[in-house]
Amino acid sequence: MQCKDFAAVLEQEGLDPLPLAARSHLAGCSACQNLFADFSVMVSSARKLPAEVDPPERLWVSLRAQMAAEGLIKPSAPAPAEEAAWWQGLSTLFRPRVLVSAGLGLALAVAAFLTIHKTSTYVASNSSAPQVGHVPPPAEPATTPPSAPTAVAPAPVPQVTAHVKSRSNPAAAPSRNFKPAPTADLYEGTPAGLQDPPNVVGTSVEAYASLRENLRVINEVIAECQKHLKKHPNDALAREYLASAYQQKAQLVAAILDSGRSEQ
Amino acid sequence: MIPHLEINDRTVLSAVGTAILFCVAASAMAAPPDHKEQHFAVKGRPTVVLQNIVDGRIEVKCSKNQEVVVVSTSSPEKVAIDLEQVGDRIDISATGLLNSAQPHEVEADFILTVPEETELQLKTQTGLIYVEQVNGDMQLESVAGDVNLKEVSGYIIVKTTGGSLKCTQCAGKLDFASIGGSAQVLQSSLMRINLMTTTGNLLYDGEFVRTGIYTMKSTKGSVEVRFSPTDSLDVDARSSTGTVDNQAADFLRPDAHGPHHSRSRGNSFFGTVGQGLAKVELSSYSGTIRILKRP
Repeated sequence: MQCKDFAAVLEQEGLDPLPLAARSHLAGCSACQNLFADFSVMVSSARKLPAEVDPPERLWVSLRAQMAAEGLIKPSAPAPAEEAAWWQGLSTLFRPRVLVSAGLGLALAVAAFLTIHKTSTYVASNSSAPQVGHVPPPAEPATTPPSAPTAVAPAPVPQVTAHVKSRSNPAAAPSRNFKPAPTADLYEGTPAGLQDPPNVVGTSVEAYASLRENLRVINEVIAECQKHLKKHPNDALAREYLASAYQQKAQLVAAILDSGRSEQ
Repeated sequence: MIPHLEINDRTVLSAVGTAILFCVAASAMAAPPDHKEQHFAVKGRPTVVLQNIVDGRIEVKCSKNQEVVVVSTSSPEKVAIDLEQVGDRIDISATGLLNSAQPHEVEADFILTVPEETELQLKTQTGLIYVEQVNGDMQLESVAGDVNLKEVSGYIIVKTTGGSLKCTQCAGKLDFASIGGSAQVLQSSLMRINLMTTTGNLLYDGEFVRTGIYTMKSTKGSVEVRFSPTDSLDVDARSSTGTVDNQAADFLRPDAHGPHHSRSRGNSFFGTVGQGLAKVELSSYSGTIRILKRP
């Protein structure tokens, strides 16, 4: 019997009773004796373990609190059991009706939106058309500012016109007013927006400097790992460290955002 | 010329004297730090939660009394300290009241005296966290401050950004995660450790408990373990671009009971001491892994 045969016997038949051939091989092979001893210790340790170990309750509590603190979940308001049962019965009874009502409501809302949309577009594009209630349209509704006084038109018409204008004209969308988040560059590398920490009650100056310095270090590590992986794409360990570095970077960015210094 | 020089000297002397007097007077008139001491009677195993949002040191010691004593020293009119007791839980928080652009301008130091069996959750920014002779689970967080533990036991979680850990004569389980911080675990008997850092160095020089699992990872720093010949452990060391410096080759024999028979190259090594009951996993990206036998 060879060592691999002995290992196979152990794997298939367990520790005892060993077949005669295995026992004779074991008597003369120190490597298999070690293997047998390891298995014996593992089996005896496993027998001492309880059948099922539940994690402590505080683990779930702290996990839930942490997720709530990070905004991943929202704490749900507990409902009284009796009320829930009553409501459950009622909702079961009326579920089809509720669905139908909701569907009808949605259809009405869509129809109303389409009507308003069509009307207002019509108002915007065809100023000479007669209006509901025989109200003449403004002279130049597409260019008239909403606050501009008109001779006869009541307030709602220019408001709708202005609304349609802003929706139907992408060029007029105020995209230039939306600036990127002040910390968006954190994800790219050098936190340019965080170069000069302002005076804010929050994380101390030293702590903030440490966070920034370590972010720089993590960025270097990421760059180094990426460079290495381009040459050695099968290096699983480097890949593992790269993933870990990304994780650390995410935590670091979160810490910087939480510090209260980055939003200035 | 000479009288003119004498006048100049006298002028300079008097100016210096006035400046010194002004400084002495100003320092005498400066407000002394706020010093407070509060006692909280507890019944069972208390939990102390301290959130120090400003800079400052936290020191925790144990006593035989069933009470938690909180001594705080803070910058006057710059720090708000809130203390609250809910049953056996003591909540302490320190927050800054003004904008600070200078280091150490807004500080709060704490000295806690707790029963020996106490659970701790401590957080500070840059000061040292020092815990001695406390048994209980503890979570210690710091940005740039070091953490120093002596004779503590329990499930110990330490998180820092740049701070280092020194753990002497610790027992239980230890998790350490840092970016720039190092960790030294000395004379300890821990069932499980998980040390992770990016640029820091890791050192374990303690007992390897049978069935214990010891994981140490440093991206760029060094990883070092020291064992005694009577220990029983499997060592699995791997480095991506760094090296494995096995200085105890005489005491480590090739693995005889696993799938690692042939893996022993310059940046990868597997070896067994004794029966290999404890599992030791050492890893680095570019740092050096050093395996030493304790003298």
